[in-house]
Amino acid sequence: MPFSPAIADMLTGLFLSDEAKSRASNIHFRDAGHGYDTFGMHPSFVALGELVVRGLYDRYFRVQSQGHHNIPGTGSVILAANHSGNIPIDGVLIWLDVLRNTDPSRVVRPIADHFVPSLPYLGTLFARGGMVGGSRGNARSLLEAGEILMIFPEGVPGIVKPFRKRYQLQEFRHGHAELAIRHSAPIVPVGVVGGEEQMPALFTSKRLGALFGLPVLPVPLFPVPLPVRYHLRYGTPIPVHEEYSPSDADDPAAVAEVASRVKAGVDALLKAGLQARKGVFA
Amino acid sequence: MSGLRVLVTGCCAPIGEHLVRRLLDDSRVECILAVTGNPVDTFPMSPSTRLSVSRVNLSSNRAVHRLLFEQAKAQKIGVVVHTAMHHSATDEGPKVHAYNVDSVRHLMALCERHPTIKRFVLRSAAAVYQVQRDLPVLIAEDHPLNMAGHAPQWVRDRIQADLSACVRMGMSPLHITVLRMAEVLAPGTGSQLFDYLESRVCLQPAGFDPMINVMSIQDAVGALSDAIGAMEQGVFNIPGADTLPVSLVIERWGRIGIPALGAILSPLYRLRRRLTGHDFRYGMNRRSFIYSGVLDGSRARDVLGYVPSHPIEWPVADASAVG
Repeated sequence: MPFSPAIADMLTGLFLSDEAKSRASNIHFRDAGHGYDTFGMHPSFVALGELVVRGLYDRYFRVQSQGHHNIPGTGSVILAANHSGNIPIDGVLIWLDVLRNTDPSRVVRPIADHFVPSLPYLGTLFARGGMVGGSRGNARSLLEAGEILMIFPEGVPGIVKPFRKRYQLQEFRHGHAELAIRHSAPIVPVGVVGGEEQMPALFTSKRLGALFGLPVLPVPLFPVPLPVRYHLRYGTPIPVHEEYSPSDADDPAAVAEVASRVKAGVDALLKAGLQARKGVFA
Repeated sequence: MSGLRVLVTGCCAPIGEHLVRRLLDDSRVECILAVTGNPVDTFPMSPSTRLSVSRVNLSSNRAVHRLLFEQAKAQKIGVVVHTAMHHSATDEGPKVHAYNVDSVRHLMALCERHPTIKRFVLRSAAAVYQVQRDLPVLIAEDHPLNMAGHAPQWVRDRIQADLSACVRMGMSPLHITVLRMAEVLAPGTGSQLFDYLESRVCLQPAGFDPMINVMSIQDAVGALSDAIGAMEQGVFNIPGADTLPVSLVIERWGRIGIPALGAILSPLYRLRRRLTGHDFRYGMNRRSFIYSGVLDGSRARDVLGYVPSHPIEWPVADASAVG
């Protein structure tokens, strides 16, 4: 019952604009037969997701974004972003930003770490909104279906890094580059500015994290995120599909080169974003 | 493709019985030898020039030998379809193992020496696959198997039977096809999910609602029939036409789903098993109630031409489709 589309429809029917409802109902969506796709995404929950996130997006974090034209309108694509802020608000805001600013609307499929699907309620609700667990097979089938994936190549070390290392990219894993080459998908680097200051952590604890099924639990300085302003920048796509053949995915040097280009792309967007912003809250 | 002569085991169960009916309607099939563990006169179809029925204990090597080298040889059987598998998850022990696993090994060994049998089709199950949080939702044929040491015999037997067939591929003169089928939501098929849905109230682990795939008997029989007619060998996932969350399965089956603390479900369902004699074991299916796992049928589609086309006839209509 907590995951009934009827409840989602009722809530969005009461509180969501017609434009937003129409956006969710017109998304590119492969119905597996009962209104859900194979991974559990359901348009009613995409609309509910917008209802839940819009307050954060519009009023609390007052998101400013640019470069949407760099997101291909169709076909498989990987968004690769920096990760920050101790809780994954960055992913949620990118999800809504892409939904709102692509025409026709595209639902980003965030690739979450393995522990996320095992979180009660959250794991299921995220899946209804499009999230998938971080396995190679899931990513492969989504790319083959022409979906838009969101990957944080830094993984957990990116989101829980100490405040003193803010906006310093951690080591980029290479999985996203290999996937892009193998499935001929362009990679769009995404720079997220603002998240680093939202919730500085006093310390992080693996032991506490284990209690909640998390790899690590950051203990934040403030109980709730600060109302920083988020700036999202989408960079020029790296045309992996034009420069490499799928067999290059087995060449570690080619994969490392692509990952390095993505990291440089994200880093450049971060620097530009930091230079352009007038203040943490402005 | 014409002139198929087929031996079908497990004809006392619904899938075997429906397969025989389907083969009787297939003009390519010249002759069917239906093997059942029950008395022949309880078989619902009368023997004819195209259909003969034989009662054989598949655990008995001698009886199987006689079946193959007397009756099957006389009828020039070319294809063996093995659908027999002990259904109950509560029955365990060497006899069950002999029926589930040793019979497959022995049957295949005999088929390899047989003068007319050239093809062996094994009905396996999606239950052989591991379902866990770091594995793909979409299950391809190379997905890890559930090799956990603590897996119950019901699962281990299915894996062993499956692998017994797989290891002979390429080494055997037989063309071997293993069909790993989604759960058939029908009585008498050994479906744990069907047994779970026998209760008016179905308990689910709170906070989880994974995607599952279920199939109808018609699709299961269609896949077996496609495999009989095809010459390719290999392992194929056979999904059904219905992919949906567990909560919707419960709803469409006309049951009431109640979320409950995951830790109490195993003892509660154990109690239910003891009190009512039901077969469903929550512990055995726990991960399928938490993590999604859906068979990827693209290989079966491309190679065998199998496409699921018979959705389950749900007792309750789709509420979202009304109006």
